[in-house]
Amino acid sequence: MTSRSENLVVEPVARLIDELARLPGIGPKTASRLTFFLLRAEAEQTRTLAEAILAMRAQVTLCRRCYNITVGELCAVCTSTTRDQSKICVVEEPLDVLAIERTGAYRGLYHVLHGHIAPLEGIYREDLKIDQLIARVRSEPIDEVILAMNPNTEGEATAFLLLKDLASLGVRITRPARGLPTGGDLEWADPDTLGSAFEGRREL
Amino acid sequence: MEVTRLSLRDFRNYQHLDLPLSPEITLLYGPNAAGKTSVLEALFYLATTRSPRVGADRELVRWEAEAEAGVPPFARVFAEIQRLTGHMRLEVIVQRRTDEDGQLTNTASKLVRIDRRPARALDLVGQLRVVLFTPADLVLVDGPPAERRRYLDITLSQLDPHYVRTLAHYQKIVQQRNSLLRAWRERRRSPRAVDDELGYWDQEMTAAAGYLLAERLRAVGELNALVGPLFQAISGGTTPLSIDYLPSLALHEARDAGSLAHRLMQELRNHRRDELARGQTLLGPHRDDLSFTVGAVNLGRYGSRGQQRSVALTLKLGEAALMRQRAGDAPVLLLDDMLSELDAQRRAHLLEAVSLPGQQTLLTATDLADFRPEFLTKITRLRVEEGRIY
Ligand SMILES: [Zn+2]
Repeated sequence: MTSRSENLVVEPVARLIDELARLPGIGPKTASRLTFFLLRAEAEQTRTLAEAILAMRAQVTLCRRCYNITVGELCAVCTSTTRDQSKICVVEEPLDVLAIERTGAYRGLYHVLHGHIAPLEGIYREDLKIDQLIARVRSEPIDEVILAMNPNTEGEATAFLLLKDLASLGVRITRPARGLPTGGDLEWADPDTLGSAFEGRREL
Repeated sequence: MEVTRLSLRDFRNYQHLDLPLSPEITLLYGPNAAGKTSVLEALFYLATTRSPRVGADRELVRWEAEAEAGVPPFARVFAEIQRLTGHMRLEVIVQRRTDEDGQLTNTASKLVRIDRRPARALDLVGQLRVVLFTPADLVLVDGPPAERRRYLDITLSQLDPHYVRTLAHYQKIVQQRNSLLRAWRERRRSPRAVDDELGYWDQEMTAAAGYLLAERLRAVGELNALVGPLFQAISGGTTPLSIDYLPSLALHEARDAGSLAHRLMQELRNHRRDELARGQTLLGPHRDDLSFTVGAVNLGRYGSRGQQRSVALTLKLGEAALMRQRAGDAPVLLLDDMLSELDAQRRAHLLEAVSLPGQQTLLTATDLADFRPEFLTKITRLRVEEGRIY
């Protein structure tokens, strides 16, 4: 808007400013600063940046089994031989997996929903990997499903729906113990709190 | 309770104000738009974290307020209050937001401190309790139901910290539920497992609604005992005023939070089709109303202008009496340009109510001629001109 209309800025520069300005937390001013920095940078630096972005897009996919981010067909957790194959921990986002792994308190498998129920934001049941979770619980030798959604309204709404769906499948359904700050994000809970919440999980 | 000192910085048309307040009656007088009402507004804002005037928070920040050393313009409202339980300092800073180029946006952020410690806005509500009287209170009687719900909500929120939290939660849940219903109504989604998908929202909504309803019914019961004689005195009639709570569903015998929640849950199930057809939540405290009757006459519909004014004034005096009764401590009364609107009889009753011992009152007027000389000798008078107080 600002940049393209100014004829003083040549098209390739304006184009990059516009692209960068579409990223979260970056406005037109920061986008211009980054663009002019890259304009003066070594050709090598701009090439590796561009390649890193392309490679990230081309190589990273979702794990075919648990929908965590991965570079192969299956993620590291799913291919590991030492993980407990009878437990699935259901989380909202890939970052939640990292947070739980950091605690070292859990050795089972994961399932990433990629969001939570939030009708106000237009996110419904079918937008999450819920049917895929149910298919896994049906076909894999699972005996416990841990619902580790964020302790806020949307997380609770998601857990409520999963509980309904899973209730008839003959698995234990548990939730991490209280002790997590309500309204907080799992991702930011400190490892000790999160770890003890996992060890003291309760059955629903 | 009383406000012992009020300080403003860049609030409305005040650049700086530091005002020690009398524990009794203070009259702010001066021409229109001088800033009399802004003083009352500041106190109302500290009590409720909302302005009684329409508009966004950013409008509270003085128009000419300037950014300093990279800090965007902000308004500060600070008060020292004395309650039965002790002394407190309340503070709200409303700061305009800027974009990354330093241009002011249309949004503002709110920072609350209680005794110098950061707090959430909800924690501030009810630390200071006020009742605001304005000529616009007539909408309580002749306006839409939302005005009457707001009256109950403002009163109860200042008295009960759990009420204000439950109300905020309830409103969020109803919004989520409405979005879900609307998506089905507009056929953006197939209504496959309606009961399962509404299950969580129904459960949260009815639990919150049960509490809100129980508290509103209790408050209306207490108000009825208080407003009967008040109305007789103000209107000069012999028949008392009766306030009825009009719920959006039949409550039968349910009165406590648990059974009210249960009643609402039953009725929500009975109204599934209607709600799906309309795409919104049709039952619950956000759809309720109040009615005001004298004898068998509904004054909201059939009352004369004079009767309606009496009801509005009675409701406000009743609100103050309810707060005094529940909290054992009188709320601060804020009377905005009330006297010019009232006849001699209603004026006398209002001035009697504000002259009770232990009652702090701030009132505004453009003309001192509205007051009797004896009254003026008993009170503190402050002249307000162009954002200054003399
Ligand atoms: Zn995987």
